[in-house]
Amino acid sequence: MKCERSRTLLPMLADRALGPLRRRLLVRHVARCMGCAAELEELQAMQAAMHDRLPYHRAPPGLAARIGAALTLETPPVPARARFRWPAIGFAGSGLAGALAGILLMALLQQPADVRQSLVRSAIDSHIRSMMADHLTDVATSDQHTVKPWLSAHIDVSPPVRDLAPQGFPLIGGRLDYVDGHPAAAVVYRHARHVINLFAWASPGSADAGFRSAQYQGFNVVTWRRDGVTYCAVSDLEADLLAAFARDVARPG
Amino acid sequence: MALTTQDRTRRFELLAMPHLDAAYNFARWLVGNPADAEDVVQEAYLRAFRYFDAYQGGNFRVWLLAIVRNSFITWSRTNRGGRLVFRPDIADEGGREAQALVWSTAPGDPETLLLRRLDGETLGRLMQRLPDEYREVLLLREVEDLSYKAIAEVIGVPPGTVMSRLSRARAALRKLWLQSEQEAEGEV
Repeated sequence: MKCERSRTLLPMLADRALGPLRRRLLVRHVARCMGCAAELEELQAMQAAMHDRLPYHRAPPGLAARIGAALTLETPPVPARARFRWPAIGFAGSGLAGALAGILLMALLQQPADVRQSLVRSAIDSHIRSMMADHLTDVATSDQHTVKPWLSAHIDVSPPVRDLAPQGFPLIGGRLDYVDGHPAAAVVYRHARHVINLFAWASPGSADAGFRSAQYQGFNVVTWRRDGVTYCAVSDLEADLLAAFARDVARPG
Repeated sequence: MALTTQDRTRRFELLAMPHLDAAYNFARWLVGNPADAEDVVQEAYLRAFRYFDAYQGGNFRVWLLAIVRNSFITWSRTNRGGRLVFRPDIADEGGREAQALVWSTAPGDPETLLLRRLDGETLGRLMQRLPDEYREVLLLREVEDLSYKAIAEVIGVPPGTVMSRLSRARAALRKLWLQSEQEAEGEV
């Protein structure tokens, strides 16, 4: 083994990150090479100093108790269910069959709207919160190859993380969030000064759904569902621009 | 699986509380003072509790340290004038020079002997002068004894980047140390 190669491997040896074969070759080289031996010794001396002598700060007494108290105050998120709401029954005079039909019709008309509205509101809340709390990203990078693995390491959905800079939507980063009671991945894009949050959460067993736009409190929202994942893009961007963003980000491949 | 609120809290505490010292020490070295370190750790534990359902097994300490790091980033945004602290693009550039420094050790160099006498307090001061992205990899490797892969998980970069950043961090620490040695000599 040459010194040049040895030098790049020495930190891995010191960090116990070498497989047995490379380890044996490197150790054999170090045994015969003064320079590499000195280098390894110095690496190990620095490691020992860091490990043995850098002051270790133990958690102060009381911190555990304070966290414990805060945890009991914290109410865990309750999964939002598509709750069936009995509509107000105001047709006492009609027959039972008519009443049932009426109820069914109202449920059909009303329930999706309710569910959708709570989803839209919740997504907008998360969008606003992400900017107010100055917690836009957990991982701040324009590199899609960093954001995607980070998200898949932290949550069970894998939303599209694309380089949409050419289309005018540069990637800002990723974050974990909650939308409508679901743990959600948030991929953050930008258009000019507008922030776009793309939320994605698992909704197994739900049928695919095409793009649907909504507007609420001055925010535009586009939702769609594909392969058991619900997507929701939120921004104060104009509706047609956000729709264009949704099409770009959802484009297969 | 329907866990009651109590069960969920209990399970979280069982997993998370044993790592409180690790979380605090990491936060303390990142933040630089005890009061803010406590805030960062408490915030991290609450966040971890909220996201507990997203924890999918694996090394809990690694999962928790990643959240401590995120809380630190949030904290430093509000407390350091909104400055972005982690700039991988900058941290991973200009490594040549730093690496050349590491490789320049001559045989029989007395530095190793000096390093063996380097005391913790001095080392701590040098650590505080390192950029955050160097300090964190050194802490995770040398103090927490995490593998490259685990460090990669905590800081959200590929393992290869961990290795190169660690090399540069060590070179930077060594450079600071040599400077401080020279200054100390100058004063005598």
